Amino acid sequence: MNVPKSTLVQMYRDMVTIRVYEETMAQVYLEGKQPVFNIAAGPVPGEMHLAAGQEPVAVGVCAHLRKDDAVVGTHRPHHFAIAKGVDLKKMTAEIFGKVTGLGRGKGGHMHLFDPEVHFSCSGIVGACIPQAAGMALAFKMRKEPRVAVAFFGEGAANQGAFHEGLNLAALWKLPVVFVVEDNGYAISVPKHKSTAIATNADRAAAYGIPGVYVGENDALAVYEAAGEAIARARRGEGPTLIEVKTYRYFGHFQGDPEVYRPKDEVARLREDDPIQKLKNHMLQSGLFTEAEIAGLEAEAKQRVEEAFAFARASAYPDPSEALMHVFVD
Amino acid sequence: MATREEELLAPYLQVRSVLGADGTPVGPEPDLTPDQLREIYRWMVFLRVHDQRLLTLQRQGRLGTFAPFSGQEACQVGSAYLLEPKDWIFPTYRDHGAMMVHGLPEVNVIRYFMGDEWGSRAPDGVNVFPISIPIATQLNHAVGCAWASKIKGEDAVAVGYVGDGGTSEGDFHEALNFASVFNVPAIIFVQNNRYAISVPLHRQMKSRSIAQRALAYDIPGVRVDGQDVLAVLSVFREAIDRARSGGGPTLIEALTYRYGPHTTSDDPKRYRSQEELEEWQARDPIERMRRYLVAKGLWTEKEDEDLWNWAREQVAAAVAEAEAMGRPDPAGIFDYVYAELPWHLREQKEKLLAELARRQGEVKRHG
Ligand SMILES: Cc1ncc(C[n+]2csc(CCOP(=O)(O)OP(=O)(O)O)c2C)c(N)n1
Ligand SMILES: Cc1ncc(C[n+]2csc(CCOP(=O)(O)OP(=O)(O)O)c2C)c(N)n1
Ligand SMILES: [Mg+2]
Repeated sequence: MNVPKSTLVQMYRDMVTIRVYEETMAQVYLEGKQPVFNIAAGPVPGEMHLAAGQEPVAVGVCAHLRKDDAVVGTHRPHHFAIAKGVDLKKMTAEIFGKVTGLGRGKGGHMHLFDPEVHFSCSGIVGACIPQAAGMALAFKMRKEPRVAVAFFGEGAANQGAFHEGLNLAALWKLPVVFVVEDNGYAISVPKHKSTAIATNADRAAAYGIPGVYVGENDALAVYEAAGEAIARARRGEGPTLIEVKTYRYFGHFQGDPEVYRPKDEVARLREDDPIQKLKNHMLQSGLFTEAEIAGLEAEAKQRVEEAFAFARASAYPDPSEALMHVFVD
Repeated sequence: MATREEELLAPYLQVRSVLGADGTPVGPEPDLTPDQLREIYRWMVFLRVHDQRLLTLQRQGRLGTFAPFSGQEACQVGSAYLLEPKDWIFPTYRDHGAMMVHGLPEVNVIRYFMGDEWGSRAPDGVNVFPISIPIATQLNHAVGCAWASKIKGEDAVAVGYVGDGGTSEGDFHEALNFASVFNVPAIIFVQNNRYAISVPLHRQMKSRSIAQRALAYDIPGVRVDGQDVLAVLSVFREAIDRARSGGGPTLIEALTYRYGPHTTSDDPKRYRSQEELEEWQARDPIERMRRYLVAKGLWTEKEDEDLWNWAREQVAAAVAEAEAMGRPDPAGIFDYVYAELPWHLREQKEKLLAELARRQGEVKRHG
């Protein structure tokens, strides 16, 4: 597969940004929450779901998207948001609950909305599926050449919303791509204990649409599968269901004791790291020097640092804003 | 791609049948005694008469909204006939035929459609759940019941009934996934009568069959001629055996048709043609079974005449019994949900009773 250099740059930079972002967040999140864990304390109050390890899914798909295509994510949304091009400073400020955030600090980590790049997400597992289908229906009715993407976990694929969304998207031939991130667990429940079938991609046959399984946590493999699916959607040929086998490095949420998986599982998974894999590919391709790649890494780190600094320096919303942007009237 | 898809879907597109359109066998006949064959036929005739009578009662203002199943008798009887008393059924509003086959007295059904909650109360030992009006919710109840059966080490089977339209509900997906993951003794029975009220199947789904949805759950999916009672019985026999022996759930799609309106507040002429109706009536499940029995020498014209008369008498007697019970108590809508009514419902109930008493007084003064 021939991937343009600019695309490799974008994917690599985004993957590193995501990784550094999540690792930074894991540290910052703990501020004020120790020694006794207090979820409300510190600069980042509330729950925190991190996506380190799952970068390939987000960047492989989003590399094909245009600014006006829509992405709907999940309760674990940072990697999708970053890959879709959400402003990192505003996003971080939102997570900190600051007035400079995407939603003036009202939404927090699970409610990142950026109309600028058509990104949204929510904590309701499976909600993104009918939402993306609905956006695709709007694009189709308005005859706009836009595509919607729903990202969700393998746990969400057992929600009724999955069935309803896929049925209607297939029936109405909507320009939407459904991407299942199989990170092996829904909280503590392993896939085989919640899912009647080995790979969700096979469920596509029930709806008469194509299903594609990407069995490796690899940005280029995702990129290839997503390219065809998104092109199909844009050509008006209807939806595709993609499932990607991926890994979650952190717990389900920060503070998860992770008693449901073997202690050494993550260490093993980290050996097959998708960022290193893409880096190796870039070096072998002869298109990049070590220095160039180091430059991309430095750039990513700096962006993350600036975003966190911006969030810290920003003010909290005035309490009088509590009812602002809730009702029109 | 097309060939792989064809290959994958082929087993889910094939339609199982035993009787041809004229009642001659075209497939292996199920192992049933002559008495059983006659009983199956008797049930279908009884249900047709019952259904037509209740439709008339509604038109006369003697019954509430009613969902007729005429045309679907083979599904109603074929799905419930082989169940044992310990098995459970979870019906829709169009499955009171199966409910009666499984032991619910006819008077309960009539009272239910007269608006009396009492109708939903199956006598002890009759394992029939109340009718679910919210589409597809009963499938999860059925799967939960089957799970309980498994956990308790029993071998009771649960059958969840649903229409073609109901298969587009999220509950359908959740029920089938759960049933498969937990390998429970459940049968999900879809009567594909081609319409969800006025919406034809091709506007509900792109899939070529409902049976193929079984693919998504790695369970058997079977398609059967729903106008052929022996075929429905045959696939049910296999599904029941599989469930009872620990083999897990089955999805069954029966191709059928309702002759009448969706409910008594629907006019089917507005969305389907007379020709289509007649095509289906030409393959009437009762007539096919009658011809089959006659050809086997198990049935005579005289017996047939007597049967229809018997059915009319049965239904007339049940209607008389139901009507003799008087009108249902309106305050009954507050009962049977809470052991103890919350304050706001208690207030509403008192208001209703006061209003009813006031009107009663008015009727007395003016009437
Ligand atoms: C409708 C709903 N039910 C339950 C929850 C609680 N919940 C939050 S995340 C989660 C598991 C989701 O698993 P999966 O879809 O595999 O995504 P992952 O967390 O692995 O990314 C659950 C059950 C919820 N947020 N929404
Ligand atoms: C959850 C829910 N949505 C909508 C309705 C309204 N409704 C009643 S019957 C029906 C159509 C059902 O069609 P199908 O499942 O094919 O069963 P059939 O009536 O043909 O037997 C609808 C939409 C309902 N009762 N419950
Ligand atoms: Mg129907």
